Amino acid sequence: MNHDQTSRLMMAFARETARSSAARLCTACVEVLDVTGAGITIMGGDQAGPVCVSDSNVAALEDLQYTTGQGPCRDAFFTGVSVHAPRFGIDASTRWPSFVSLAQRSGFGAVFAYPLITAGAKVGVMTLYQQGEGDLTRAQHDDSIGLAEVLTETVLSLQDEAPPGELAPGLDEAVKYRAEIYQASGMTAIQLTIPPEEALLRIRAYAFANDQTVAETAAHIVARRLRLPNDDQPEMEA
Amino acid sequence: MSNEALTDATTPQTLTAATFVEIVDALVGDFDVIDVLTLLTARCVELLDAAAAGILLADSAGQLCVVGASTEQIHLLELFQVQNDEGPCLDCYQTGEVVLHSDLDTPSPWPGFAAECTKAGYRSVCAVPLRHRAHTLGCLNLFMSEPGGLTDQDIALAQALTDVASITIVQDQAIRDAAVREGHLQHALTSRIAIEQAKGMLAERNTIDMDEAFALLRSYARSNNLGLTNVAEAIVAGTVTVDAITTRRPPPPPRPASQA
Repeated sequence: MNHDQTSRLMMAFARETARSSAARLCTACVEVLDVTGAGITIMGGDQAGPVCVSDSNVAALEDLQYTTGQGPCRDAFFTGVSVHAPRFGIDASTRWPSFVSLAQRSGFGAVFAYPLITAGAKVGVMTLYQQGEGDLTRAQHDDSIGLAEVLTETVLSLQDEAPPGELAPGLDEAVKYRAEIYQASGMTAIQLTIPPEEALLRIRAYAFANDQTVAETAAHIVARRLRLPNDDQPEMEA
Repeated sequence: MSNEALTDATTPQTLTAATFVEIVDALVGDFDVIDVLTLLTARCVELLDAAAAGILLADSAGQLCVVGASTEQIHLLELFQVQNDEGPCLDCYQTGEVVLHSDLDTPSPWPGFAAECTKAGYRSVCAVPLRHRAHTLGCLNLFMSEPGGLTDQDIALAQALTDVASITIVQDQAIRDAAVREGHLQHALTSRIAIEQAKGMLAERNTIDMDEAFALLRSYARSNNLGLTNVAEAIVAGTVTVDAITTRRPPPPPRPASQA
């Protein structure tokens, strides 16, 4: 089989997998690449949503990156090049302090993020987690690039099949997962008479200042246990 | 990008090199496909000692259309060729092979076309395929005012220039397609998020839960014959107020509103 044919078949399989259960895409990444964990996130501007995660440790790390706006996933997306942290040394700790701290506590020793990108389109990131320290092998790296290519096309083609303006069913989970966060930003928007985008920033700031994830703060707001104050934000650490 | 010929002091090699450099520069920056293809036809005329050149591309229906030409007159000729379904370009497109007729005074497979060529002052023609992998996208059509056609070397150079044209076209289409699809995804994401934000806004204003808020949103959309995402986006943008949704709420249905 030539490269084109292989790619097309891989994409067809990936699409079918995503339709039946997007979660299986992450399981496939873990198995095919022989890594400890994986997460696939779709992103755009300020928006980010997890299509799938291979386990709850990865979920917590993706959530943390969403809360702080910092991490290898985000860096890979915005630079458009893969990010490699084969060990969590000074560099990584300086760049992503809270991410490294939680990653180490979760038992991970290395992280690699591959942007889901093609000429003209950038749709998200595939992040790989390893228990041990050390770089990916040449084969793993090449396979990761190939897989990222397939996933990019998978995401785009899932959306191709949806009615215009509607998010494809296979990708809906990425938004539903953070539904409470968006609902909370709507509530806070009315409470403080500000636009929902600004409300989300305020929620993030509150979460960071109070050592919560954005999801936790949002849950309190939606349950009407918390109402963000009207005054200026508490000072945040740089 | 300038279509002007370089000075007479420029050697063919220099001009060939300059042409490739110019096109590659265009490809890595923002470029317009038509500009690049038109430049190519102008350079072909200079480099290959042709009288005129045109580039034809097949559209999605398989019809050949002119996308760049060195003169207006060629434009008409190409149109003629297409309309009558005969000519070297059509043969080239269908076979994927170079087609050459070195003396239009001698019989050719395209009598009607040949007659128009001769009238326009052209004595030989050549068509070189625009190739991409296994496909032919169209062709480069060259017209010479002398019989004799082109040398093998000329044809090889023409093919190289045509290959560059193919890359230009394919690259541009791929980028455009991908950008459009990414746009759809981003819009769908934003709309889906807007639905949750709108639910939150309605829930807060009316002190109801999220399911009731969603029901409110849905019935407003239905009674006003609007898309759910359109209404949600309007609420988030502030072009429709949350109060407008509430005051127009139809009477509650007999079943509990919290059915998902």
